[in-house]
Amino acid sequence: MRPTHLHIIKKVLLYCLIFVVSLSAFFFFINLVPGDPVTRYVETMRAQYSYSIPVSDELIQEYKQAFGLDKPLFTRYIYYIRELLLKQNFGPSFVAFPKPAHELILTALPWSIGLLGFSVIIAWVLGMVIGTIVGWKRGTGLDHSITPIGLIVSQIPPYLLALLLLMVLSYALEIFPSGGPYSAHLERGFTLQFVLSLLYHAFLPSLSLVLVYVCAWMISQRALVINLLGEDYVRFAEAKGLGSARLVNRYILRNTLLPQTTGLAMSLGFIINGSFLIEWIFRYPGIGYLFVTAIMAMDYNVLMGCVVVSMFFVLLANLLIDLLYPLIDPRIRRGEW
Amino acid sequence: MLKETGTNFLVRSSRIFKSSLKLRIGIILFTVLVISVILEPAINNYRLEGHESTEIGVYDALLPFTFEHPLGTDHYGRDVLALLLTGLKYSLFIGLMAGGLATLIAVSLALMAGYKGGRLETLVTTFTNAVLIIPLWPILAIAVLFVERADLVLIIVILAFFSWPWACRQITPQIASLKERPYIELAKVSGLRDLEIMFKEILPNFLPYVIVGFSYAVAGAIMAETALRLVGLGPGAIPSLGLLINWAMYTGALAQQHYVIVLSPILLLVLIFVSLNFINIGLDEVYNPRLKKITGL
Amino acid sequence: MQAILEVENLRVYFTTIEGDCKSVDGVSFRVYNKEILGIAGESGCGKSTLIEGILRLVKSPGYIKSGKVLFAGSDLLRLKERNLRKIRWKELSYIPQGCMNALNPVLRIEEQIVDGIVTHTDLSGEKAKEMTSSALNAVGMPSEVARMYPHELSGGMRQRVAIAMSTCLRPSLVLADEPVTALDVIMQRLNLQTIAELKERFGMTVVLVAHDMACHAEICDRICIMYAGRLMEIGIVDQLFQKPLHPYTKGLLEAVPSLERRRVKSIAGLAPSPLNWPRGCRFHPRCPFQKEVCGKKEPVLREVGSEHYVACHLYGD
Repeated sequence: MRPTHLHIIKKVLLYCLIFVVSLSAFFFFINLVPGDPVTRYVETMRAQYSYSIPVSDELIQEYKQAFGLDKPLFTRYIYYIRELLLKQNFGPSFVAFPKPAHELILTALPWSIGLLGFSVIIAWVLGMVIGTIVGWKRGTGLDHSITPIGLIVSQIPPYLLALLLLMVLSYALEIFPSGGPYSAHLERGFTLQFVLSLLYHAFLPSLSLVLVYVCAWMISQRALVINLLGEDYVRFAEAKGLGSARLVNRYILRNTLLPQTTGLAMSLGFIINGSFLIEWIFRYPGIGYLFVTAIMAMDYNVLMGCVVVSMFFVLLANLLIDLLYPLIDPRIRRGEW
Repeated sequence: MLKETGTNFLVRSSRIFKSSLKLRIGIILFTVLVISVILEPAINNYRLEGHESTEIGVYDALLPFTFEHPLGTDHYGRDVLALLLTGLKYSLFIGLMAGGLATLIAVSLALMAGYKGGRLETLVTTFTNAVLIIPLWPILAIAVLFVERADLVLIIVILAFFSWPWACRQITPQIASLKERPYIELAKVSGLRDLEIMFKEILPNFLPYVIVGFSYAVAGAIMAETALRLVGLGPGAIPSLGLLINWAMYTGALAQQHYVIVLSPILLLVLIFVSLNFINIGLDEVYNPRLKKITGL
Repeated sequence: MQAILEVENLRVYFTTIEGDCKSVDGVSFRVYNKEILGIAGESGCGKSTLIEGILRLVKSPGYIKSGKVLFAGSDLLRLKERNLRKIRWKELSYIPQGCMNALNPVLRIEEQIVDGIVTHTDLSGEKAKEMTSSALNAVGMPSEVARMYPHELSGGMRQRVAIAMSTCLRPSLVLADEPVTALDVIMQRLNLQTIAELKERFGMTVVLVAHDMACHAEICDRICIMYAGRLMEIGIVDQLFQKPLHPYTKGLLEAVPSLERRRVKSIAGLAPSPLNWPRGCRFHPRCPFQKEVCGKKEPVLREVGSEHYVACHLYGD
């Protein structure tokens, strides 16, 4: 086996190990919280409807047994891991019983990936372009006007910006809808109307993410470009009399691609982490929204499932970066490391 | 000790303060916020005549902007300005405490790991990375479920406990590189014990990084806390800015066009983040003069 | 003899918080056709900035305060950017200091050379690659190097690649900024010889900047001695080395380690700060022959022999 193959296998195994360890940690963590889905459900019912359910204790016990929640923690842990790794079974959702958790998750996943992935990528592209231009023209009026704005906007957490946009564009000016993935009365399908409605509803959540991320990417790209402008090889290229286009493209942009694509991969890995609040604010049915609703009800399996998915993305992104970086960076490729 | 001699702390500090515009803006903004918080009890006591800012029904609901109520009142008859100040107080307090605790943990770990290097460093780094992978918000969300009652201390501890990895990750490589510097070698040769070296030689030169780590940690803590409050998680009796927004939204402020109640906490939060980040960037510029040309405004 | 480059009173300053840093403060000299002119001096005397000034590569916070640089009939400092670009590389090229970083790490050698060729000529990609090959061969490197990345080459090889790059279009003037400083002595000699050979072959003129007098002794025809932003002495190499006139030149030559003289003599004192050049003759605080007038009046470069100029009160004034 070639050394690189061995290296890859070792890396993959390491990531799998981290995955299982983090996963297990999370499992024990959730289960340490006082309360469980059944008790919660009964309590909420009681609070909402002021029922005093006569046989509540026995009822709770029965349901717990049915769900296997009365078994000792460790048994449940072993069972969960086994089911998860061998059969990709996330278990049933306790709240939406008997729907299995993975069904809920799979329905929610495309919404998250679509909204967030799309936003992150657009923001990256725009940010790189604007950042390069502003960096190249550093010190000019353009730089002095755009950069401070970018600096401030990039520090606003996306969910706060989302609230602001919601206020202004949705409630005040009534240009955009205030939530939901598409108009409630439409049928799902690939009709033009549906697609337009999708885009219309996705606009505000996407915009809040894109605005903040574009500014962040722009600032980082600008910093990289300005750093590079001081590099010897850029000066040398200038001394060669190369035109601006060629110079910026091959001697600056190319050199920023290395760190920036890594950054993009990391961002994509973390998208789900950043999604919870935005989805909740706009009632967008993605993983984040699913998670928030599951928390209130202590729906263990759904909670675990969401976290598993999130961790998976992060680890996958990291793994890909680790494996692909040598391919992009010629310095590492030829065995220098 | 091979530190900068001949200049005392005050002179150095004022020089640093003057040298970066961003730093000045950040510090001034933050000081204004802190002062408002310190004065909060006095101001609120005076204006509300002894009532708590969160007390319901003190005034009529939804009053327009007047001199008495510059920002009006909310749905429950509470003066918005007073609420804001209280919210600011809690947000900042939680942020500073949690951030401080997190930085403490991070610095201790980083000092040990970065200085000793080798196996310890790899262990700490791997541990930090493993913790970082677990998504923060879900963990926090679930953690605060433990804290149903209004327990400020617990919230702070939980926030700190989950945000130290970020600070640690920033700081460890810095210490590792500092360790290689020649004056450390000198100190070692002169026979100082490890602990002494850490405190007397590394820490003073390391202070700027610690401060940067601290403000990142504070910003992170406030962000995390706000994110939790927005969805209504956490103790309901501690009205930090995030919770204020949540209350406003749940009483239909948006639909009824009472934007001020939502807008003002958001603006305050943005101010907090901007000031903290400017302090960060400013400090970065000061200690890394090359950056000045890059981020130079 | 014809002068291919004429620098008149060039001043390049850097703006700092504490005032202007006058790195190049009134330098004038001529470069004659087909000669190798050396510019020597301590680190920090402004040699590299001088070259950057001539090439108009000075970046903020540096700026060209005043002066003229006459080349091929025009003042380089006043040319339009477009026209300057046309001259660059084709007529006037540059071997940068520290070639460790002068090559773009993510492009192959070939791509970087072809970039330059394609910009200035109408050659097709294929022809350009051929030209690259022959340029590399001309400095004694195999054609395989073209497909490599900069990090795969050693320092000496990278330097030679830079020389190849700068000469492949047969420019009439090459400005070399400390091209061999970062190399070991053997490589130094090799590279200097390569430069000299190419100069003969292609009929180029070379300006060589270095702080090591030994380099200048190796291949230069004439040499300028620079100190504190100005020129102190200009002369033909052999003459200057045998009979240095300016006290600074003497000091420089005495500081060169030799096999005969065990002890190395250094010049007393520290290099002055460019923010505050000494009044009068800039060298006078460190000069063993200083007179009273030296602290008051700054000496001018005047001709004291054939092609021998000195700026010192010991020789008139």
